[in-house]
Amino acid sequence: MTAQTADGLDTVSQDRPEAATLVRQRRFSWSRLGWGTAGVVLALALWQVLAVVKGDPVILPTVPATARTFVDYLGQRYPAGTGETLWGHALVSVLRILAGWGAGVVLGVAVGGVMASVPVVRHLIDPLIELSRPLPPLAFIPLFIVWFGIGEASKFLLIVVGVVPIMIIATVSALDGVPKELVQASRALGASPFWALLTVRLRAAVPGIITGTRLAMGAAWTSIVAVELMAATRGLGYLINNAGVNLQTSLVLSGIVTISILGIVFDGLLRLLHRRLDPTRR
Amino acid sequence: MSTAPAPARDRTDVLVSVRGVSKRFAGRGRRQTRTALDGFDLEVREGEFLCLLGPSGCGKSTLLDMLAGFSRPDAGQLTVDGSPVVGPGPERGVLFQTPHLFPWLTTRDNVLYGPRARHQVDAEVRRRADELLATVGLEGAADAYPHELSGGMRHRAAFARVLINRPRLLLMDEPFGALDAITRVAMQRFLLHLWERDRITIVFVTHDVEEAVLLGDRICVMTGSPGRLRATFEVDLPRPRELDVVDTLEFVRLKRQVREALEGPAS
Repeated sequence: MTAQTADGLDTVSQDRPEAATLVRQRRFSWSRLGWGTAGVVLALALWQVLAVVKGDPVILPTVPATARTFVDYLGQRYPAGTGETLWGHALVSVLRILAGWGAGVVLGVAVGGVMASVPVVRHLIDPLIELSRPLPPLAFIPLFIVWFGIGEASKFLLIVVGVVPIMIIATVSALDGVPKELVQASRALGASPFWALLTVRLRAAVPGIITGTRLAMGAAWTSIVAVELMAATRGLGYLINNAGVNLQTSLVLSGIVTISILGIVFDGLLRLLHRRLDPTRR
Repeated sequence: MSTAPAPARDRTDVLVSVRGVSKRFAGRGRRQTRTALDGFDLEVREGEFLCLLGPSGCGKSTLLDMLAGFSRPDAGQLTVDGSPVVGPGPERGVLFQTPHLFPWLTTRDNVLYGPRARHQVDAEVRRRADELLATVGLEGAADAYPHELSGGMRHRAAFARVLINRPRLLLMDEPFGALDAITRVAMQRFLLHLWERDRITIVFVTHDVEEAVLLGDRICVMTGSPGRLRATFEVDLPRPRELDVVDTLEFVRLKRQVREALEGPAS
């Protein structure tokens, strides 16, 4: 005989020991952090050695010199007098990216959602995406200047063009990946078709879509320098281009470092969102 | 067909009726269609535990799909409790081979999904959810997420999620097929006890002869394709049934008969 509970039901005690898996596996790895830090330090050391050996700050300034420039320009305007501080340039770039990325994400999710639901639309748009995927944003610059001028519109659209295909692909594959049994289970539990779509099909696709937004955010930062090649007077891309022309190499490097820091920060925020919405990621 | 509970349900004790049901699927080729079921008839009595036994491709899952309302027959009619099946509904609980819990919901919220979808969550339903979680032995895992549960625990959570709807009929499609042997035995025992307490009508699809004989009141052996009923066995083993029934001579004899029917005459 088996052990029975008060209401006469066997509680299947055999796999109780596995309840140990309830303990959340959220182990922070110090050794991984250690090796990661070591990698960065090693790269900086190599940079420093090369800079000292070469001894020419135009070709490669030393690490401390670059750091000094970085800190200086946090409070100092570039170009002197009329321009922005490093903060100001960063803010301009961030706003451009958020606008283009945000619009691109909304558009991409909407188009992707329709493509995943209506086969005709999917067959119509699929080849267009495949054709546009290998195109670098840089290639659109002359076209957009002719069509929309050299103002913010062209910059905005250039980012959107980079983001939309990524979001469409992510959305379609996330929706395709939702097992049909999950939706059936929802319907069999009494959900209306609309409720099942909302609370299961779309909900189950959320983690995949967030992964798409992370990739898209990366793409947006990657194209920012190209975007701000277009007659910009502000922004990190402008700063890098202009400082390069004036052989201010340490400022170029400061701009690059800023982009990489901002990229990490935004990716971190999206990862946090991903964790909140996807319990399997915790 | 009113959806309100009929005050005096007719006393015929047939809950599920399948009449002349046919279903075809488009095959790989242009003109090939595969006939899964052709003029299939079946009746399931109220409170009966019916096992559909057959090799893969015999149409047993197709039949279950149609009973659940996930697909429609090309011909024939399926009725449950007197009304034709036109779509999925909470009065017919479905348990799949994999539990298909919603991974973004805790165990408790998974159980509450049905009532919530029908906007019927109140204190009483919440209390019943906790009661059901205790019944399936998951009271300690109510706030855990599905990926934190073991295979057997997930299956039991899926049970609770379906039972909270108080279904008239449970449709189970090889529900323990993907479990390891030990967990499967535990789940079979769990299901036996659950059924002996509540006597919910169950249609249980399996390709495991021993499982069918152990669990069912009646076994319908099917062959394909198209799926046909080859033989029906009444299982007279005593209830309540314990797992040690598998060692009795009666069990072994019945199992052999069923297996022979399944393998069929060497034609």
